[in-house]
Amino acid sequence: MLMRRYFLGLTAAMLVTGALPSLGMAGDGTAVSGGKLTWGVETEPATLNPQLNGQDKTKLLLRNAYESLLARTADGGYVPWLATEYKISDDGKTYTFKLRDNVTFTDGQKLDAQAVITNFTKLKDAAYSGSVSAGPVSRIVEAKALDDHTVSFTLNQVYAPFLDYAASLEILSPAAFNSTQLKSGGPEIAGTGPFILKRYAKGQDIQFVKNPAYNWAPKTSAHQGPAYLDEVTYRFLSESSVRTGALTSGQVDVIEGIAGNDASLFKGNSDFSYQTALNTGTPYSLFLNVTWGPTQDLKVRKALISAIDVDAVLKAVYRGERARAWGITSPIDPQFYDKSIEAAYKPDPKAANTLLDEAGWTARDADGFRTKDGKRLTIEVIQAQATVRDQRDVLLQALQAQARQNAGIDLKIVFVDAGTYTDRRKTGQFGSIANSNTPTDAIDIEYHYLPLDKGGSINYSRAFAPELSQWLNEAASTLDQKKRFDLYSKLQRFAILDQAYALPLYEPEDQVAAASYVKGISFRPFKQLPESAYDIWRSE
Amino acid sequence: MSADNTTAFEQSPSAWFSRRRRLKRNSLASQILVRIGSAIAVLWAAVTLSFISIHLAPGDIISLLIGEQLRTPEIEAAIRLEWGLDKPLQSQYLTYLLRVLHGDFGRSYILQTDVSGLVLSQMLPTLKLTAAALVVAVVFAVASALLTAGRRLPRSIAGSLELILISTPSFWLGIVLLFIFSFTLKIFPVAGDRTFSALVLPALSLGLSLGAVIGQVLRQGLERALEEPFMLTVKSWGANDFVLRLRHGLRHAALPAVTLAGWLVGNLLSGAVITEAVFGRPGLGRITVDAVLAHDLPVVLAVAILSAFTYVVLSTLVDVLYLLLDPRLRNQNAEAGH
Repeated sequence: MLMRRYFLGLTAAMLVTGALPSLGMAGDGTAVSGGKLTWGVETEPATLNPQLNGQDKTKLLLRNAYESLLARTADGGYVPWLATEYKISDDGKTYTFKLRDNVTFTDGQKLDAQAVITNFTKLKDAAYSGSVSAGPVSRIVEAKALDDHTVSFTLNQVYAPFLDYAASLEILSPAAFNSTQLKSGGPEIAGTGPFILKRYAKGQDIQFVKNPAYNWAPKTSAHQGPAYLDEVTYRFLSESSVRTGALTSGQVDVIEGIAGNDASLFKGNSDFSYQTALNTGTPYSLFLNVTWGPTQDLKVRKALISAIDVDAVLKAVYRGERARAWGITSPIDPQFYDKSIEAAYKPDPKAANTLLDEAGWTARDADGFRTKDGKRLTIEVIQAQATVRDQRDVLLQALQAQARQNAGIDLKIVFVDAGTYTDRRKTGQFGSIANSNTPTDAIDIEYHYLPLDKGGSINYSRAFAPELSQWLNEAASTLDQKKRFDLYSKLQRFAILDQAYALPLYEPEDQVAAASYVKGISFRPFKQLPESAYDIWRSE
Repeated sequence: MSADNTTAFEQSPSAWFSRRRRLKRNSLASQILVRIGSAIAVLWAAVTLSFISIHLAPGDIISLLIGEQLRTPEIEAAIRLEWGLDKPLQSQYLTYLLRVLHGDFGRSYILQTDVSGLVLSQMLPTLKLTAAALVVAVVFAVASALLTAGRRLPRSIAGSLELILISTPSFWLGIVLLFIFSFTLKIFPVAGDRTFSALVLPALSLGLSLGAVIGQVLRQGLERALEEPFMLTVKSWGANDFVLRLRHGLRHAALPAVTLAGWLVGNLLSGAVITEAVFGRPGLGRITVDAVLAHDLPVVLAVAILSAFTYVVLSTLVDVLYLLLDPRLRNQNAEAGH
């Protein structure tokens, strides 16, 4: 109850920006069908197969064509979509989904129990799905069709995040698995969505046309029946200033990914609408390596966190356009975010300096950095050059300045190529890596805090304390949400306050700006990413 | 003018060909054979060096492919098997060479598509862009040289403009051109590769700096030519200044400019990366950068072969252009053949 109340308070601002579609529509008049829309996007999909694509930024376009069994509501609940109902057995191991009996893939295939089973079984094969095969599907020991339109999955043990995974998996036409386009994705890979993937011009754009037979939108959508738009094209414009210019000059109707400096062009301008939504998942945080370099010492980690005034840094870098983060998951998460972490720690340069004195970093070199045994207190932050975005290079430099000024710590930012980054990650020879992720249902926490070889694929603090995996496994193996909340909350205090594994910085967000005649733009309830074009229409 | 043998401008191509035919057959054949042989050697070297450097670069392919996702021995094994990475390097290399000889360039590790199709589909937009940029460069260079050579004030204005263009990053120039002509005046679209008008701004942003470099060289050459004694002769026939520059001076000035242009056109291909990103154009640039970063070997090798091939074709073209431009070289060849 406490969580829900908090969530409502937090989303008050989101309602205004149209996070909930039904309210976002208010005052926009009656929706009209027809017309085309062009949307300028930053990221081009590496693959168009939604099951293999791990890029959050491309979900907004893939979701036009591919749908899943259940949809999420803003408070984290589930509502029917391709499945009309679901049931979890008393022992918590068997999930049963009853499917709609009137759904057809856009290649003419019927959605039935066998089609769903084919999808899940194929995903278990590493030759098809690579890393995905080691995820939640690996826990399925039996998938069977109870009748034509009922499927059940039995797991080897209780695993709470499974429901979100099974409910959100994009279901492909069974015919797709025989296509040569299977892994790259493409027009041959049919889904059930309100739009059909018609044409993909690599490096340029991707085009979807309306699926006239569509009639199975979830309750969370603003309308039922076919989509309003006849056609929607997403153009790949990787430069932020070019996207902004393309929108202001009327060459595209909608853009996503707006630089902090450009936001003011659209905010409060009646020719445009501007909406943002905080991401889910672990905030962008500086993870401190506990197995290499000076950060092996708890005192050094604590000192670094005390030395940096995150609020001041964010204000200077983003002009207040980014939300401060405190914990191990997003403040927008209605299920597992414990806000008691907020303000539970604060910048304290004096404490930082005391800690460093105690740790033996007492001498100073000519540049003012602390040293021990003639060695400078250097923490190397490794950053892959190709993945810098959202002015994070500037953010890191601001942190660097604070660490030096307040505590004499040399936070050295090393920009490297993708190969070197991979090597350093693998060998663990780095002081710190800054990173965020977006999965929900505490999977984000598992990736960051399970041991490296036990599912912690981005455990950049390389933390291995036995408590971590004990709590995470305990939380994942119960369906009692209250108990899970308490365990994640305990982990949050342990990881951030006691062990100083990470310094949370800010929660990334998505931005969408559109010409004022474009109506019905929204973000997905709960998952927060920009929604597909299904509810979008043109008022002129 | 008809008697002017020095420039030989009025000699028809057929006259030139008939002279070539007089060459001994085996000399022509051997020249062609040497060309083809060295072309093959260049292609082979490009493939081999790319193959070696990708393997020497930090980061192993499997780690790069898995990235930040879950990693298990089963997943690693599946990837190795799929791409044949379980075999020793020498055999991977030989297998690749064999496959290329059969026209099979393999599949992209990252994009999971057929590399020949991928590269071919991206080659056309890049060729269009570089060709248009080359036209821009040549027109700019010739116009600037013809109009300003030997004239003090226009010369210094053009010279400064060229210096500015040379030192302007094409990224910045592209954004400025977009801002003025697309976002503000709305004359040209930012649109990828869909209409001819969408080609104008990218071609300008890529071609102008190239034109500026060639223009400087061309102007200097033209000024040297204008001081030659034969110019006085032509002038004495009553040729006006423009004809003098266009028909007699330019040809003399062109040789160093052509040499330079041949080399610079190769650079256009790499410059296209940035222009393509700014203008949201499809093209080889983006896929090449992504492929190199991700060690996507099949794509890298295919692009290496294509670039090497382009250089070979370009250098051949430049050689032929020499022959067309400078009759002295043709005569030398002819004498060597006798």
